[in-house]
Amino acid sequence: MNPSNPPQAAEYGGDEVSAIVLDPGYSTTRAGFAGEDAPKSLIPTYYGKYNADGQEKLVFGDDIFVTPRPAMSIHNPIGKDGIVEDWDMAEKVWEYSFTSRLTGSKPGNPFLNGLNDIPAEELPTEMEVELEEKSLADSPLLMTEPAWNPAKAREKTIEIAMEKWGTPAFYLARNGVLASFASGKASALVIDIGASNISITPVHDGMILKRGVQHSPLGGDYISSQIRALFKKNSPQPITITPHYLISSKTAVEAGQPPQAKYRTYPADKAPDASYRALLEERTLSEFKECVVQVWPGPNKLSATGPTGASNEEMARSTPGRPFEFPDGYNQVFGVDRFRVVESLFDVKAAIPDPDSPVPAPTQAQTIPELIKASLGGVDVDIRPHLLANVVVTGGSSLLYGFTDRLNHELMQLFPGPRVRISAPGNTAERRFGSWIGGSILASLGTFHQMWISKKEYEEHGANIVEKRCK
Amino acid sequence: MAAAADVRDMLDLPAEGQPRPTKKAKVVEKRPEGITRELYALLGERAPPIAINENKYKGRPKFMNKLRVRKWCMTPFANNARSDGLVLNHWQREHESTRPPAPEPNQMELDETKEEGKEAPKPKEQEYAFAKYNIKARVPRRYTDEEYNRHLKSDDWSREETDYLMNLATEYDLRWVIIADRYDYQRHLDSEPDANAIVPAKQYRTMEQMKSRYYYIAATMLAIEHPPSEMSEAEFALHEQMLKYDPDRERDRKELAALQLNRTADEVREEAMLLEELKRITSNEQNFITERRELYSRLEVPISVGNTAMYQSSQGLSQLLQTLLQADKSKKRRSILGPEGAIPSPVGQTPTQATALGRAETPSTTAAAKDTKKGPAVPPTQPAVRTLTPAEEARYGVQHHERLQGGVQFRSDRAQKLTQAKSNVQTQKLASALAELEIPVRLFMPTERVCKDFEKLIQSVNLLLDARKVAEKVESEIRVLEAARAERERKNAPEGSSKDTEHPEVKTEADDGGNSMLGSTAADATESGAPAGGEGQAKGDEGASSQTPVKEDGNHKRSASVLSSVSDKSSKRQRR
Repeated sequence: MNPSNPPQAAEYGGDEVSAIVLDPGYSTTRAGFAGEDAPKSLIPTYYGKYNADGQEKLVFGDDIFVTPRPAMSIHNPIGKDGIVEDWDMAEKVWEYSFTSRLTGSKPGNPFLNGLNDIPAEELPTEMEVELEEKSLADSPLLMTEPAWNPAKAREKTIEIAMEKWGTPAFYLARNGVLASFASGKASALVIDIGASNISITPVHDGMILKRGVQHSPLGGDYISSQIRALFKKNSPQPITITPHYLISSKTAVEAGQPPQAKYRTYPADKAPDASYRALLEERTLSEFKECVVQVWPGPNKLSATGPTGASNEEMARSTPGRPFEFPDGYNQVFGVDRFRVVESLFDVKAAIPDPDSPVPAPTQAQTIPELIKASLGGVDVDIRPHLLANVVVTGGSSLLYGFTDRLNHELMQLFPGPRVRISAPGNTAERRFGSWIGGSILASLGTFHQMWISKKEYEEHGANIVEKRCK
Repeated sequence: MAAAADVRDMLDLPAEGQPRPTKKAKVVEKRPEGITRELYALLGERAPPIAINENKYKGRPKFMNKLRVRKWCMTPFANNARSDGLVLNHWQREHESTRPPAPEPNQMELDETKEEGKEAPKPKEQEYAFAKYNIKARVPRRYTDEEYNRHLKSDDWSREETDYLMNLATEYDLRWVIIADRYDYQRHLDSEPDANAIVPAKQYRTMEQMKSRYYYIAATMLAIEHPPSEMSEAEFALHEQMLKYDPDRERDRKELAALQLNRTADEVREEAMLLEELKRITSNEQNFITERRELYSRLEVPISVGNTAMYQSSQGLSQLLQTLLQADKSKKRRSILGPEGAIPSPVGQTPTQATALGRAETPSTTAAAKDTKKGPAVPPTQPAVRTLTPAEEARYGVQHHERLQGGVQFRSDRAQKLTQAKSNVQTQKLASALAELEIPVRLFMPTERVCKDFEKLIQSVNLLLDARKVAEKVESEIRVLEAARAERERKNAPEGSSKDTEHPEVKTEADDGGNSMLGSTAADATESGAPAGGEGQAKGDEGASSQTPVKEDGNHKRSASVLSSVSDKSSKRQRR
């Protein structure tokens, strides 16, 4: 293909209007230009707040991990159920996500940037309003939302996009629908394993089926709490996680031996808030999840007996363990325990009890098989086999080793009759950014441009239009 | 090679102590570009792990240098599919008309000529290429108030709810799955105090109810627009189809579909197994048919083989062999040797017949043939033999037989034979008894259970008939005796001497009758209403009336009860 020729529009139906796709999640916020294959801007949704010189300052993006500023506390504008709680901060975080990498900060007011200093008395005051630049003035914006987003929150979102950012056109799409688009399906059963939530969304012809939407809080954060419970009960000694910023040096120790590290201490007035430590501990835990944690691949539960008569736990024990070294140098090989921490996603009885944990113990109805069952129970019987043949797995926590195998076995056990087919992209980025990629596809389609809610329509009908248009 | 050893020497590496990794078969590798031959030779056989490939910049092909650079520019465009005239920007070639992205060249050419005339091309005016995909599902025209009141009123659906349904149908382009999902009709509450009473009574509409209402409206509207007599064929078909929508049937279908979906693993496995079996049977069937045709064509029937019963004894078999040999000899003499004729046919024929019979016994090839006998039994060739519980056996129709006869027979025939008694009179009696019970002589549905029950019925009918006969006999004897007594009394009055001579005679007769009633009802049953005779006569009777050629059973049967004799007979028939 000659690179200087454009692809024929009819070939792929694309027509790029330099739209921005913003996919806010609980743990990370993704933003990028539509038509690209991965979000250019990936920032944590967490932000830091601290006081300096008597002023409250905010830290966004990856900067929050870097410097432990005195008394810096970490917050998240999004609630545990994936719905925005703190709208002012959510707006700031989201704005940061696209201004930092995509649109750039707009040139400031020429009267205020110091280049055009004129005596204050000559400043024409009435011009100030006109000169105020909106950050998204020339990019349509496609945002995503969870399927259970209440109408209030949706209206608030379009309000911010239209009034604060000044986008010419806006659309709000469900992330389940987008994830199914990302894997090229108009109808699918989307299983999204996120940080704070897992959700099952049946999608039919590009629309969610509201009665089939199920979600439960057994996401990545829940797995972290299970890992913490496991560490507390660890057999030679309980493991405490010391994040990197508290360690100045360490020496290598044998597996299972107490760590020998020099710790960095902060005086009380310089130390960051406890939430800062929790955030960094969470980073270590996600490393642990990536390297060690494994889902028992099935068939059957970890507690059941396998086909050979030996219990599955025995089988798991016989597989070689996986070592992990903590930031302070302590290291240990994790055997069957690495299966236990995620088993409760499928089998509630396998949950590691931890009375001190802020995370409540899971219930049977919150496990993935039960959610799927409930979700399919809420949709018409005629499309159930079709949905089962198009199961889309997305979300960062679904990258747990062996997860899709187990899911496949569970589904086959639940529904032995119909054909079950799971489509889970092997590419890590495609799995983590499934709904963003779907949004990127959608917003760069020529046929989609009739769906945007334009500024004019918003002004005519008000924020309520989002309920009518983004169905 | 030497170079490699030198290098080892220089770097103080141990000499080639451990054997090298096995040499690759492909030693001669193509020298990658960008390495001189000398350098490549120095490298020896071990190619560097990283391919040294210089990524050369491939510039534009030469012919393109002569072309003019064509400009792209950010062009605003409006989408005709929108009503609000939103203007978005996208990149486009500057002279859109020379290189149209839209796939309609004719129209583009037209545009080109037009634009040339105008001298000022305005890309904005060009129709947006994707606007044509903005299509909506065709929904019927919305009814007016009058139309609604006249044709569409329903007890179940209020006007408001109907409007709501029609709006949803339009909004979601008749995608019923989504309509049913989003259907959330809030009844407009007329008065506040009633609200609490109405809310719990809010009925839940199923998709079938919605569809039924919608189709009714659509069909009615269609009929209002065009009366059925004026409809085109397609319209009429649509009208018919919409009118015939049956929500109950649809609901039943969905229930069945749900059942089908929620099958257990066992059921699914079983179905798969049965399907596999069916596949095998059908695939073997063709094979079997051709084999059988071949067999038929080869069998030159030497004698009529209508009845195989005569070949059951060893004598019969030897006779058959004789005749076959005879036939074969004559054949040989004629020396008609077809392709199969090379095999000597006496040996060739009988074994094929035998194999055909033998195959009929193996379920793998002719499960169909076996069905009449055993029902769809689990074939013994199945690797996984599982023991069935009695309930399962009953379900699958598995039966166990002590002994099986070769060949095929109808179960109904067996039942039929039961109604044939040894004598015509008895048969008629049986038939009349059955007629009285309104049971057809030929069973409609000769299933295993029906046949069993029928057999029982026939037995009890036989028993009843026997009992009646005995009763009649006893009655007649009593009458005779009473007559005799009356006679005697009458005679006694004039003379008492002849009393002694007659009395014992009568007594013995009565004893005989009682004996036969107790012990040999079987014999009696076969005697068609004849007065109780001697034992020899009964035996002779039975021999004459029974169709079995085997006579030696007669003695044994005399002492047997009715039940056992019947079962004996049936087993004999089975054997045959």
